Amino acid sequence: MSEFISKQDLLTWLGQLMGERNLVAPTRVDDLLLFRKVDRVEDIVFDFDNTTMSPKEWFYPSSETLFYVEQKDGQTELIPAAIEKETAIFGIRPCDAQGMAMNDYPFLEEPADALYMQHRDKTALIGLACITACPECFCTSMGCGPHDPANVDILLTEVTDGYIAQVLTDKGKTLLPDNLLTTADVSSPPAPVLSEVPSDGIAEKMRQAFDEPFWDRLADRCIHCNICSYVCPTCYCFDVRDYTDKERIERVRSWESCQSPGFTRLAGGHDPRSTKGSRLRQRFSHKLLYFPRQFGALGCIGCGRCVRACPVNIDIREIIKDVQQLGVKSEA
Amino acid sequence: MKPENPLLPYLSTLQELIDLTPDVKLFRLELNDPDIRESFDYKPGQFVFVSAFGVGESPFGITSVAHRKAGLDVAIRRVGTVTNALHQLEPGATVGVRGPFGNYFPLDEYKGKNIFIIGGGIGFAPLRPIITTVLDYREDYGDLVIINGARSPQDLVFAPEFDAWAASPKTKLELTVDAGDEKWTGKVALIPSVVSELKLSPQNAIAITCGPPIMIHFTLIELRKLGFADNQIITTLEGKMKCGLGKCARCNVGEKYICKDGPVFSMEQISQLIEQF
Repeated sequence: MSEFISKQDLLTWLGQLMGERNLVAPTRVDDLLLFRKVDRVEDIVFDFDNTTMSPKEWFYPSSETLFYVEQKDGQTELIPAAIEKETAIFGIRPCDAQGMAMNDYPFLEEPADALYMQHRDKTALIGLACITACPECFCTSMGCGPHDPANVDILLTEVTDGYIAQVLTDKGKTLLPDNLLTTADVSSPPAPVLSEVPSDGIAEKMRQAFDEPFWDRLADRCIHCNICSYVCPTCYCFDVRDYTDKERIERVRSWESCQSPGFTRLAGGHDPRSTKGSRLRQRFSHKLLYFPRQFGALGCIGCGRCVRACPVNIDIREIIKDVQQLGVKSEA
Repeated sequence: MKPENPLLPYLSTLQELIDLTPDVKLFRLELNDPDIRESFDYKPGQFVFVSAFGVGESPFGITSVAHRKAGLDVAIRRVGTVTNALHQLEPGATVGVRGPFGNYFPLDEYKGKNIFIIGGGIGFAPLRPIITTVLDYREDYGDLVIINGARSPQDLVFAPEFDAWAASPKTKLELTVDAGDEKWTGKVALIPSVVSELKLSPQNAIAITCGPPIMIHFTLIELRKLGFADNQIITTLEGKMKCGLGKCARCNVGEKYICKDGPVFSMEQISQLIEQF
């Protein structure tokens, strides 16, 4: 037996949520599918594999003011930005929810990032289990799964005429009233089967492959467009700049990518990571070696977005396979 | 006192601005809030971010020592956008300060040892708190040898203090430049060759070096030739950084962050890093 919500009740409930908080859901924007704030349930897309951009932009926007500088009568005051309104994100996939949990490691580690923490505290996640997989999906190889309930407040799984609803946290209980749920004799459809990527022991193999010419060769075709970092749910590197083009000064944080040529360049000109190969190696080493060493978990959740987005077909799944082989060679 | 929002600077006032070289100024800062100022403690080797509001913020090694309670000093070389903006400021200007960040030189471990300070250019600045501390607590430490090198005589930082340093007990000051001028009577030599010439003894000693990467590279070679073990050679790394908290992921070297695991590393630690900076 499962807790069940009919499609019609789901729509009604989502409509109610919009009245009391921001509701963010997958919507069509031109030919992209993006998490956007919705005002009408008709705008929500229910039938999708995954969104073009990850939901990280709701916790860590591509560009976000950290504080404002007010200067009046010779006095300076700093006004920190604050997140006022509660938000519910509908339609987050289990892999992306895990990605947000991965970002918690660096951002919430003491001293916690104030804005990120507010975004996280004020946002509830209504997950949608995956019924089908994209060809690029490999979450099952990265410690996650199409029906993984671990990192959402509510997980919905589509069945005939409605959804199985798993209310998993107190936040979820507050969000979804019991009276909308019925008990029904339905069972969850089987999770889609994904192709496996050999991620076991990859951190150690990455260490062994660190000085291989593999990275320079691979990077030959990289055009450092940074799209891999932008679509990635777990890429979190940032830049901070001041802007004065509006009425007051703002200090703004924005996404940055370790693939950018100036990522590590110092004001004096010295750049310890000046080659494309060293920068490409940095991205994969961060996810598959440094992050596991720092936090005990892989820094990739297998959503496959970078594979889909890369204009020159740099494919993390192939890299993992190749590095496993390079490791074998180094041991010999 | 820990700030609630670690990316929000403390408002501070530029008290004094002293020209150290044609492109380096010493900024003496005072945190505006008396409570924060009182509890603002730091150690030699740590750094702060200084904001020029409207332009940005950058990290700078602290050159003062907390125990003297005489304000927070940073020596800033005019080289990029933020440092150019900071150099334009006048005393009385409001700036932002975040920090202190990073680890520090473990001076307690150096007690009783001979200390060799080897700094090049603006890289000498974060080494000054070690000198001040050793001279303020002179009996706690062994011999102090200071090698300060720069491109030219006018680029040597902290010149007004040279006489006092040289006159201190158990202290030797060696100044060297890449190219002298008509008034210069001192050494014209690269820092690594001065290190070699002085035949510094590794016996009960610690060598602390900071400067341009190429200088550190060759200084290291000379120190090893003299018999220094890698755990007797200390340096500071620098990296582009935006937060100081290990979050922006700009200054990582392998799984270490220069901002929080460093900036002070022994050569032994550096040789264990995956990536070479």
